[in-house]
Amino acid sequence: MSFLIQQTLIYAVPLMIVALAGIFSERSGTINLALEGIMIFGAFIGVLFIKLSQSAGMFADAKAAGDWGALQGFMLLAMLVSAAAGAIFSLLLSFACINLRADQTIGGTALNLMAPALVLFLIRIIANQNTLQMNGDAASWFMIKKTMLGYAKTDQLGFFANTFLNKVWLSTYVCLLVFIILSILLYKTRFGLRLRSCGENPQASDSLGINVYRMRYTGTSISGALAGMGGFVYALTTANGSANGDVAGFGFLALAVMIFGNWNPLNVAGASLLFGLFKCIAASYSSIDLNGDGVYWLAQIGISPNFYRLLPYLITLLVLAFTSKSSRAPKAEGIPYDKSTR
Amino acid sequence: MDSDYIIEMLHITKEFPGIVANDDITLQLRRGEIHALLGENGAGKSTLMSVLFGLYQPEAGVIKKNGEVVRIDDPNDATALGIGMVHQHFKLIDVFTVLDNIILGAETTRLGFLKKKEARAKVQALSEKYGLRVDLDAKVEDISVGMQQRVEILKMLYRENEILIFDEPTAVLTPQEIDELMATMRGFAKEGKSILFISHKLNEIMAVSDRVTVLRKGKCIGTVNTCDTNKQELSNMMVGRPVQLVVSKGEARPADVILDVKDLVVPSKMHKNNAVKGVSFSVRAGEIVCVAGIDGNGQTELIHGLTGLEKISSGTIELCGHDISRASIRRRSQNLSHIPEDRHKHGLILDFSLEQNLVLQRYREPRFQKGGFIRKDAVRAYSDELIRQYDVRSGQGSVTRVRSMSGGNQQKAIVARELDRESPLVVAVQPTRGLDVGAIEYIHSQLVSERDRGHAILLVSLELDEVMSLSDRILVMYEGEIVGEFDPKKVTVQELGLYMAGAKRDGKEGEPA
Amino acid sequence: MKQKSDFWKRDTTRSVLASLISIVIGMVVGGIVILIVGMTNKSLTIGSALEGIRLVIGGIFCTGRDAAGSLTFGFSPVNLGNMLFRAIPLILTGLSVAIAFKTGLFNIGAPGQYLMGTAATLFIALSIPTAAVPAWIVWILAFLGGMAAGAVWGAIPGAVKAFLNINEVLACIMTNWIAANLVTWAFDASSLKNVAEYGKTGYVYKTTFNGVATPKLGLDKLFPGSQVNAGILIALLFAVLIYILMSKTTLGYELKACGANRHAARYAGIRDKRNIVLSMAIAGALAGTAGSLYYLSGNTEFFWSTYQSLPAVGFNGIPVALLAVNNPIAVIFTGIFMSALDVAGQQLTSLTAYNEYITSVIIAVIVYLSAFSLVIKMWISGGRKPRHGKAAKEDAAVESASELGSSAVTPPVPDPADETPPAEAAPEKGGEE
Repeated sequence: MSFLIQQTLIYAVPLMIVALAGIFSERSGTINLALEGIMIFGAFIGVLFIKLSQSAGMFADAKAAGDWGALQGFMLLAMLVSAAAGAIFSLLLSFACINLRADQTIGGTALNLMAPALVLFLIRIIANQNTLQMNGDAASWFMIKKTMLGYAKTDQLGFFANTFLNKVWLSTYVCLLVFIILSILLYKTRFGLRLRSCGENPQASDSLGINVYRMRYTGTSISGALAGMGGFVYALTTANGSANGDVAGFGFLALAVMIFGNWNPLNVAGASLLFGLFKCIAASYSSIDLNGDGVYWLAQIGISPNFYRLLPYLITLLVLAFTSKSSRAPKAEGIPYDKSTR
Repeated sequence: MDSDYIIEMLHITKEFPGIVANDDITLQLRRGEIHALLGENGAGKSTLMSVLFGLYQPEAGVIKKNGEVVRIDDPNDATALGIGMVHQHFKLIDVFTVLDNIILGAETTRLGFLKKKEARAKVQALSEKYGLRVDLDAKVEDISVGMQQRVEILKMLYRENEILIFDEPTAVLTPQEIDELMATMRGFAKEGKSILFISHKLNEIMAVSDRVTVLRKGKCIGTVNTCDTNKQELSNMMVGRPVQLVVSKGEARPADVILDVKDLVVPSKMHKNNAVKGVSFSVRAGEIVCVAGIDGNGQTELIHGLTGLEKISSGTIELCGHDISRASIRRRSQNLSHIPEDRHKHGLILDFSLEQNLVLQRYREPRFQKGGFIRKDAVRAYSDELIRQYDVRSGQGSVTRVRSMSGGNQQKAIVARELDRESPLVVAVQPTRGLDVGAIEYIHSQLVSERDRGHAILLVSLELDEVMSLSDRILVMYEGEIVGEFDPKKVTVQELGLYMAGAKRDGKEGEPA
Repeated sequence: MKQKSDFWKRDTTRSVLASLISIVIGMVVGGIVILIVGMTNKSLTIGSALEGIRLVIGGIFCTGRDAAGSLTFGFSPVNLGNMLFRAIPLILTGLSVAIAFKTGLFNIGAPGQYLMGTAATLFIALSIPTAAVPAWIVWILAFLGGMAAGAVWGAIPGAVKAFLNINEVLACIMTNWIAANLVTWAFDASSLKNVAEYGKTGYVYKTTFNGVATPKLGLDKLFPGSQVNAGILIALLFAVLIYILMSKTTLGYELKACGANRHAARYAGIRDKRNIVLSMAIAGALAGTAGSLYYLSGNTEFFWSTYQSLPAVGFNGIPVALLAVNNPIAVIFTGIFMSALDVAGQQLTSLTAYNEYITSVIIAVIVYLSAFSLVIKMWISGGRKPRHGKAAKEDAAVESASELGSSAVTPPVPDPADETPPAEAAPEKGGEE
């Protein structure tokens, strides 16, 4: 059961963050289909950063010294770097869509084509193979283990401690924190109010003195930062610390989460947990032992993992189809704002 | 005395390409007065107020506040000067609450976090003071149009605006809401706020305003004290001019009823009231019937309901003896030609060529296709013929992309297409909008010959000249109902104006709103 | 003189120019990336960077390296033949996206339709034993099956858009991934996994396993050593058929009308909902055929565990269509161009230290530029600037007069549902919700 919860969180948390990225962009008025591409780019930059610092020897020192604080620090730094990379990459989208009033879906698709191409091109040249891997077992170095917290390796912990403190990543909790903070930002601050108004009725916002262009740039850049960071977290926790120019459709799944969650952070969090659960079951259903009694119930009911994998998309499509009336996409998303049409 | 005027707009001229929307207009607003701006469609009222609110910059003229010249480059400047505007189409965020809409752009915050308690108290105080009932926590999309307007008003009050502009405020209100609004406006004026309101409704103007400025075709006709004038005079100023176009036509010889409409009700997309409220009329072969009225009184919905572009709620429509109340557009087209109101939205496919547009209604006929393949030469020949006959000018003839044609020629193409079909009923909405005199003359003569060939013509026009000269029978529409039926030879333009503005209706004298 | 300036003002000329400019810029960006990498990487030199650029531009003609180590160029039947072969799915997915664009829809669901087509084709081609049924009949059945599967899969987002007014892009994204998972599931549960050859259980059998393959029709004599087959002729045929459909039939007229102006189409009595579904079904059929022909060739094998990533060829149809400005005949050429780039990329990998992904970068840049080249084209063609002379005055007078004719002069909050996007953008991609 601990395993189930941990695995679900591992899938759910990057999903949540990237879906929030989608929300920030769309709520400010720009459709962001490029979540997948930005994730890929952010993952690459983050892994590259770690690899470079590994080659520079900074790592080995810290690891040898058992200074796990520094190791976590490196990971957080990598998250920051990938966030910055994502924000910068998303400027391509913002510029095209806001300044040049380009078609937002084509622009997003272009970025989705660009990122894996660029990333794979560079990876091949850097590593002469199709994957860029952090040196050694770096992914597990970043984990928080009970030994770090003062327990001996053979100590048995209670259920909660075992689930949430042992063999987990700090990034999971950091992301959760970021999610909560940004959601509060979106709904409880002046900035958030103004941002959301630009995605609903930019003419109204403009007539009240709000700079719609600036708001949309900010929204899309935050979106890029979150997606980039989400990409790195994905690479670290799900892909075992490697970047290979692909995030297996995670970015699109995050879009589904955003739609299913009706562009609302609380619902999105719930949807992420649900979709994360499906992904987890699909990936490791034969080893999920629900109540520790040695019976792998999920494997026994014989539903193919493929079903669990397609379930999120299927239910999102059904939700799209049947709640189209009450679905609350930001009203002005996808429509470039033109001041002259005041 | 000059300082009596809180706002002066002096010799304002505002031009758009090819047209002078405001021509040397002077408007002076006294402190504490309710000043109405009256005029027909296209008179320039909204443009003038948009200049005041900073949405447009004038080519000439100055604006003064309290005697000092000011520059208003955008709505922020206007707000800073204490000028607020309630637009005809509200600028509200549907999914936000009423309170959020009011504070947006002027929020009180602490460290960036919204502090709504003070704002709430302030808004509530304002709401009580002026009797503007609103539900602060309801979402704007869920509240009535009347309440939405009150939210817009509170937005102005919250920003402590002293000069309040209302653009056709009563267009979307129920009679009770109109009364409340009038009372609210009087309350503002008593307090020393100054109000400008745009309207074409004489009843309301007479009821609530202190002075009226009348605009006509971009020029200021004059400013009068309301107490010194009456509806007749205002109507005259708004509309009165000699009929300019004389259409030569013989007597109409109406024959069988082609179109028979009974108790037609068409819902409105914009508010809960119906747009067409139980209209009945008929059109006979060989006559031109015109529906006159100020835009926005249900004419659009009436035509959409007749032609099938919108669904009707109830009532019957009979065309050539068949009930087409629920028929598809294609079925109706068999006996109906439609020259639509919006030539870019409905009338033409701008990216298609001229010939492709000219066969838009007929491409399925055996003349133009065989086995699903278009007969290009037949289409070309037809198109060339229509172009010649109706003098449709374009860059490259039949292959011209319609988008590049001038508006006038685009309209001629539509008229050519629809009239050539020789349908028993022709529905024409604003058929000569934007055309030069020659084209107008030609189209009028075409419509008359259609009529003389025994077709029925239902015309909707906002140009009284056209209405008077072209029609055999006039129906005036006001607020979704037919309020009068006239013979153009026996009625005056002024009289029509009264009916169009709701001041009079057949059966009883119009009550003040 | 007037003739010449007319030529430059013509819309087709501008579109072709815009496409050419996009290609050039894309190549330049690719070249710059190669140069930068060449300069910053310790193991690569400028010389190798220049070689890389030469290959990107002319790789299709590269015949390898000579004894001295420099690149040689000449007529290479292998390269040309492979180019034609790889152009088959590109042309067909390009047609799929192009016809959708022409009818106002963005078919980003081509990968999913491609996969469904592939699955149907492979199942039919490998399950009907050619001992019992002649191979050519099996081929035809498999081909038609692929087309039908694609059509059904395309109709789903079409129906959802037509009847429920849901953005077809979102619906297509969902159907893409549903398809990927369904196909994986179907093959996982089937007996078509390649257990006969060592290490190939991740792939489905080639169709030659059942004796089914697209005939070569002599093309292998023209281009010996390559993979080309009659599929290219079929692709060309489809391009011509689509061209005929769109420009010469009443159905094409209706489909285009719905895409260009749904309101006017309704006004004319055209059944817009039915047409949207039909357009997407045709687009889906084309994408399905792409997958079908690719795998019926008999020398390609399908990696069936496709739930993690969508086939790139599905998305590559987008630049093919955009560059061709959605013209079916032009799609032939842009499809072949993209395929040439593809082959050049292979050359890069095999002959230099660079790799084929640079061509994907170039393609991505081209798509990026297409997103707003439509807007730029509009600026150039004076969509905002006044036209000259009397015509302009008339034109302008009408525009504002028609505004003044309605009640408000200040354009009120434009209803998003009604707002027509900037002039030129409308034909290429119409109504989003």
